[in-house]
Amino acid sequence: MQILYTGLSMGAIYGLVAMAYAVVFYVTRVINFATGELLMLSVMVTTGLVQAHLPVGVAVLVALASSTATGAVIYFLAVRPVLNFDRFSFAWLVSTLGVGILLESMAGLIWGTTALGFPSMLYGRSVRFLGGSITWQQIMTIIVAVVLAAGIELFRTRTFAGKLGMAVSSDPETASAMGVSTARYAVFVFALGGLLAGTAGVLVGPISFANPYLGETYGIYGFVALMIGGIENPAASMAGGLVLGVLVTLAGTYINTLASDWFPFVVVALALLITPNGIFMSGGALRKAFARKTVPRPRLPAEQAL
Amino acid sequence: MNEHTYTLEIRSLRAGYGRYDVVHDVSLHAFAGESVGLLGPNGAGKTTVLRSIMGLVRHRRGQIWIAGSDVSRLPAHRIAKGLAAMVPEGRRLFPNLSVEDNLRVGGLRHRGDPVRFHSLLGEVFDLFPAVELHRKRPATTLSGGEQQMVAIGRMMMNDPALMLLDEPSLGLAPLAVQSMSKALLSLKERGRSILLVEQRVDLALQVCDRIYVLSDGALVDEKLTSEVDDEGRSLIDAYLG
Repeated sequence: MQILYTGLSMGAIYGLVAMAYAVVFYVTRVINFATGELLMLSVMVTTGLVQAHLPVGVAVLVALASSTATGAVIYFLAVRPVLNFDRFSFAWLVSTLGVGILLESMAGLIWGTTALGFPSMLYGRSVRFLGGSITWQQIMTIIVAVVLAAGIELFRTRTFAGKLGMAVSSDPETASAMGVSTARYAVFVFALGGLLAGTAGVLVGPISFANPYLGETYGIYGFVALMIGGIENPAASMAGGLVLGVLVTLAGTYINTLASDWFPFVVVALALLITPNGIFMSGGALRKAFARKTVPRPRLPAEQAL
Repeated sequence: MNEHTYTLEIRSLRAGYGRYDVVHDVSLHAFAGESVGLLGPNGAGKTTVLRSIMGLVRHRRGQIWIAGSDVSRLPAHRIAKGLAAMVPEGRRLFPNLSVEDNLRVGGLRHRGDPVRFHSLLGEVFDLFPAVELHRKRPATTLSGGEQQMVAIGRMMMNDPALMLLDEPSLGLAPLAVQSMSKALLSLKERGRSILLVEQRVDLALQVCDRIYVLSDGALVDEKLTSEVDDEGRSLIDAYLG
């Protein structure tokens, strides 16, 4: 139980980072490799502001705002110029990675390279639940992650704006011929990605300490979660994160403490070998295993005529 | 020069992809309420002309006016604000969305005007009862003919000054082609300006007032449909190969 709780709460963080990648990729087909650094940014901003004696709540809000805004800025500075030059180029690979390194170095200059203590929010207290103890911080992390995943999924499939996003995602050219401004959607998802990564940062801060190199670690773990869960669907990437979190914690406990460094890559290699589209995607192995029997669609009278 | 009697006017358009020009020098026009056909063999540049009008291809030279507005430098989503709407080649319905949601995306610009939106929706359903019947189903589960109706309906929802159709007969069963040409005729009767790209001469002659023949990126012929006799027709057939 203890392992499950720790695993799920770490997995929720990986899942949030994976969702940050996924929402951006979903609409723009671009992977924002500075996503991990956006997480780091929100950790550092929170820490810095609390050290300047601001209330924790204010610091967290400013941190979320700054990672959201930076997400949008990344689109304008690093992605749009590249895609305007050549819509099919992969230069965003380099340019977003470059922004990541830039953010990391800037954070190092501003806050120094030594780890700082992150203000604890709910970390101290814990409860016993189903034979294990879980901290309020962990409970909050899991709840926030699941609520965000569900919220995004509902927005995507139930609202008109979300459906327009699906239209842009499947066929940007035709969508723009229908009057959809694809650039506006791109800005929106980059900002949303920033917000998700920032949220993950605020949640992970209390257990990770604050240093400018956090971005790399969580960026990679989030990317692995994305690969496990599947890249087409933000909710699936959250599921990928939870699976990864539990597996990594298991590995850390039963193999050795260093296993959590290499184990994720074994997992992702296996996952990609078995189900190249991610295990939670349609046609993935899990879907097939649990697929409900399809109910034949009742035939409409006019269909027989046509 | 008075461009306002034209719904569409193109002057010496040159357009292409990458370094290659597909269309060299095309000038054509459509009067308000006229339906114009653009015929030509595969690779003649018909689709490129249509995509240039819609703002999906950056053209290198020439000008395009729709309903008196210069759209030469406008991006597609601005042109889609009432100037032109298109039925793209191969329909390109949004696969994850239901039939009704596809129509709603088409009617995006009337989002603030539910009355107009619903009257347009009613118009589409009047013309295509099958579309109304399947409105809740995913667009891709429909037959080819039905999907084409959805694509035409999606364009109608925009209520544009100029309707662009790219080979709507492509891949349809003969019966579906017939019902589609009926639908196009009824759009024409409602006074819509139409530019129809086709490979099927019979369909174009049935629906259009006037036709252009495009070959190797340049216009080679222009005729009123009423003037096309058997001899003219065999000439066009010869161009189309």
